[in-house]
Amino acid sequence: MTTYKFQTVERDSVFTRLDFRSKILIMIVVTLLAFLWEDPIYEAVLAVLVLGACLAAGVKRGYITLLLAGMSPFYLFMLLTHAFFNVAQAERLLAVSNLHPIFTLPADLWLIGGLEATWEGFLYGANVMFKTMSLTLVIPLAIFTTDVDEMISSMVHARVPYKLAFIFSSTFRFSPLLWSEFNKIVAAQRLRGMALESMGLMKRVRVYARVVVPLILSALVRSQQLEVVLQSKAFNGDADRTYFHEVQMEIVDYFLISILFLFSIAAIYLRVQFGWGKFSVWF
Amino acid sequence: MVSKKIAVLKEVSYQYPRSEGYALKDINLSIERGEFLAVIGATGAGKTTLCLSLNGVVPQFFGGRFFGSIEIGGEDTIDVPTSQLAVQVGEVFEDPETQIVAASVENEIAFILENLKTPRDEIVARIPEILDAVRLKGLEKKHPHELSLGQKQRLAIAAALAARPKLLVLDEPTSQLDPYGVRETFQLLKDFQAAYNLTVVMTGHAAEEIAEYADRVALLSEGQLKAVGSPQEIYTSFSLLKDNALRPPQVADTFQRIRQRSVEVIQTPVCLQDGIEAIRDLQTRVNICSPKISSQGEVLQTETILETENLFFNYPDGTIALKDVNLTVKKGEYIALMGENGAGKSTLAKHFLNLLQPSRGDVRFAGKPTREFQVSQLASRIGYVAQNPDQQIFTTSVEEEVSFALRNLGYSSTEISVRIEESLTEMGLLQVRDVHPLSLPKGDRARVVIAAILAMHPEVVIFDEPTTGQDDLGAQAILKVSLRLHQQGKTIIVITHHLHLMPDYARRAVVMGRGRILLDTDIRTAYHQVDLLKKTYLHPPQAVLLAQEIASQTPIPKLLTPAEVAACFKPRVRGRA
Amino acid sequence: MTNATPPKGSERNIRSLSSTHIDGAPMAYIIALAAVVTALSFIPFSFILGSGGSFPLSQGVLGLVGWVLGPVAGAVSSGIGSLLGVFLAPHTAGPLPLMRVVGSVYASFAAGAMVLGQKRRYWWIPVAVYAMLSFAYFVGRAILLNGVGVGIAFAATFVDWSAIVLFILPTRKLITGWLRSSKLPQVMLGLALGTWMIYGITHVCQSAVIYHLQNYPEEVWATLIPIIPFENLVRAAVGVVIGSGVITGLRAVGLIKPEHAVF
Repeated sequence: MTTYKFQTVERDSVFTRLDFRSKILIMIVVTLLAFLWEDPIYEAVLAVLVLGACLAAGVKRGYITLLLAGMSPFYLFMLLTHAFFNVAQAERLLAVSNLHPIFTLPADLWLIGGLEATWEGFLYGANVMFKTMSLTLVIPLAIFTTDVDEMISSMVHARVPYKLAFIFSSTFRFSPLLWSEFNKIVAAQRLRGMALESMGLMKRVRVYARVVVPLILSALVRSQQLEVVLQSKAFNGDADRTYFHEVQMEIVDYFLISILFLFSIAAIYLRVQFGWGKFSVWF
Repeated sequence: MVSKKIAVLKEVSYQYPRSEGYALKDINLSIERGEFLAVIGATGAGKTTLCLSLNGVVPQFFGGRFFGSIEIGGEDTIDVPTSQLAVQVGEVFEDPETQIVAASVENEIAFILENLKTPRDEIVARIPEILDAVRLKGLEKKHPHELSLGQKQRLAIAAALAARPKLLVLDEPTSQLDPYGVRETFQLLKDFQAAYNLTVVMTGHAAEEIAEYADRVALLSEGQLKAVGSPQEIYTSFSLLKDNALRPPQVADTFQRIRQRSVEVIQTPVCLQDGIEAIRDLQTRVNICSPKISSQGEVLQTETILETENLFFNYPDGTIALKDVNLTVKKGEYIALMGENGAGKSTLAKHFLNLLQPSRGDVRFAGKPTREFQVSQLASRIGYVAQNPDQQIFTTSVEEEVSFALRNLGYSSTEISVRIEESLTEMGLLQVRDVHPLSLPKGDRARVVIAAILAMHPEVVIFDEPTTGQDDLGAQAILKVSLRLHQQGKTIIVITHHLHLMPDYARRAVVMGRGRILLDTDIRTAYHQVDLLKKTYLHPPQAVLLAQEIASQTPIPKLLTPAEVAACFKPRVRGRA
Repeated sequence: MTNATPPKGSERNIRSLSSTHIDGAPMAYIIALAAVVTALSFIPFSFILGSGGSFPLSQGVLGLVGWVLGPVAGAVSSGIGSLLGVFLAPHTAGPLPLMRVVGSVYASFAAGAMVLGQKRRYWWIPVAVYAMLSFAYFVGRAILLNGVGVGIAFAATFVDWSAIVLFILPTRKLITGWLRSSKLPQVMLGLALGTWMIYGITHVCQSAVIYHLQNYPEEVWATLIPIIPFENLVRAAVGVVIGSGVITGLRAVGLIKPEHAVF
């Protein structure tokens, strides 16, 4: 019984009331800022803001934890590699010739002995970490606060072709089905003597690849039935239809959109003209 | 003047592209407004094609060659696009999964209305109305994934009805449902037919229900319309049914057999109520005897092979799936494990294979807890034939499919080829050993899966709903395999809600409901516990109910089949009136 | 099915009145494969830190989606499938989820652009140009701006430049021919090289953006020299297993081919 659905938030907040188009713009602006800046403090503030917004909007903590936990090896890797190795780039960006050491590994260690970690490298790593954190967290913020059907209506209003919007919602409908089917197929293979428990990574890769074959084939065979169903339901891919879910931009949407626009322009201007947000350290 | 006919088919023939023969051939048929027409026929008779031709999907989507004409409410299905015909014709299909396209219940209803450009206010008004009628109120926001099979099928019907079509076409809408779901669907359709003068065209294998609810029955055979008539006419044309691998309702079957015993029967009844009345009538005229039946109820004195003790199982989301299940299976038994959809039958079977582990209690195979086995070890000793063959086919040829498990289990190549040979012979698949399994028909694909499992030489074989979606011939063929295996000494467990199929095979019946074992006894005793069966939404076969009617007057043993019931009636003595 | 006598009714002229296609592929096929991509996003495969985080099993089918549906429908299907996969399975989405989506679109488009006939025979050019520009930026930035050694930079991008070479040269057409072959070993060879090539050029396009952000130092480049080819080899192996099963299966089932299918 694998049930999953969109982790739609239950809480009513300013985010759930916003039009989906405004939320798309939030996503775009956050992405833009994350790319624009390299200052770890700027990036940290951005990440904290997005995280805070997620929590305020009621995105499930379990989801955020899963996400951050899944990403943590990557974060750690970024911090370490930059701390130890990012010397040339940090020196160039900061226009200095020697960096502040944090510690040095004992010289007798094999291969990595004598390596020196620097504060500047570490902070550059932190900048990368916060950047990716913002980019990852902004997605649930925008998506989980929106009803799928509202998304479709919004997309159509935003001139997204109706066919694309329809594929989006149908994929959402059918992917749980395929996921549970995937698990059924894995079970069926185990029932034919496949000892998954005692398999190495490479063997498992082969097993999973094998599972995908019946999955795709049955999906395609069923899709022919789906095509018949769609036609029987008077579907013709034409955007000229009525919509059960209505969407409308409210004043708060227009307000937010203007703010985001102004802020983005300002941020770009400040970065280019005065170097606000370029990589820097405070010591 | 509105014509009394909603659909008129004139000389309709149809050939699918890249296909040799005709899927439909020279069909002439008129469908009256407000009637309930059932279409019956063996697998491949053209039922689905007929359904799809009524809203123009055949031939508009499939292409191919089309002859003759079909008019629906005056519109020609060749000239008017399907999307426009949808105003008049609603369609419901077999698989509840693929026909629900939206991500919530209310959107599913809205979808067709949106496509038909129904104004939004009207959509908003119709959704609660139609959900109320199919008893899905309160589930508006649910994802289809959260609905039961029966609920999904009701939603599909609701969505088709939301557009207020004049004709509702249903292609095997009940074949995946348990007996309760089947009756519920029929009753729902009957209600709509009465309330809105809706015309219903429906295909299916549920002979008992069709006899009771349909106004007319059409019999298709190899694309041709063989007969059209009242259920009474069609379901008493026994040789016609037999030629087409169809089964009459058990009531009709019983009385046909009684008649064959030279007992006078005025009219062969096809509905249960008429049957009971006819029995009452016979009891006043004919001598009743106690027929000889196979001995039942003996307990096998072999060793225990499978055993559960105080087994509880909860799903991670808290749903209780099994409650205090205690079951002992002896070597060499043949057990029917029965219950409604969701009663916990498959969940129990998965415990035997260590695919699921008990939340509490024990499961043992050959005396050892199953959790001490690897799934693959158990699987080689307990063969599990799951429901959908296509989820159990992984390779590109029949032979490879059979060797798949053997290679996993590390057998030598000589041993593998011996077992392939033996298994393919057993299932009659030798001729197709090099063929891609997916190019075989559905019944043969199921046999490929069984062959692959038999190759492991399991001691126990579990069949999970093997007869779902099969016509009578296909269902019998699979059960015959199970019987052969049983005769070879294997322990057999068949999970099913097709009660009428089991008396010839199973000795013991285990009935489950809501995660508990409600009944565990010999099949005769079980089938006669009518009230208890109802608790788990099962209906005993009609023969059992007829036997009970007889038993209320004359003491007879617990009978199960039409043949046994018929045997109660003594042939008339020559010369008696 | 009866054949004996000709039908009594007069034959009708059938027009296709349906319009539910995108670029010759039925909508339902696009949906089905998009749902496959989403469902497979749940299964993490292994960790590749160079191009950012773990990659999900869905990456094993992106090329196939393009080959089955054609470039446009394939790109739509992969794009929407991975977009949903990114939301529903964040644990496999990697540090730059949107990059994952763009990469999927690019991969399926590139796969679908491998054509043999006259129709659409220039579609591969923009794909190749974009890959080459990405390569120039990626490696150029590393060598010129961040002081990565030339040898190391080229060794670490073996997958990238080998894929570009395969894609530009007539090898592309050779591989396409193999995919269409009725002989299984040729199909498998086509799948192996085709998958290597498609993911190679996708990798370079993604890496250019990721490197712009992360600027990982030379030592990381060095560690990538064995990792990236290994990862791509795994992808190619997965591509062969899945692709050969699906292509032979589709031929057995006799499903109607989308108009621009490559296989």
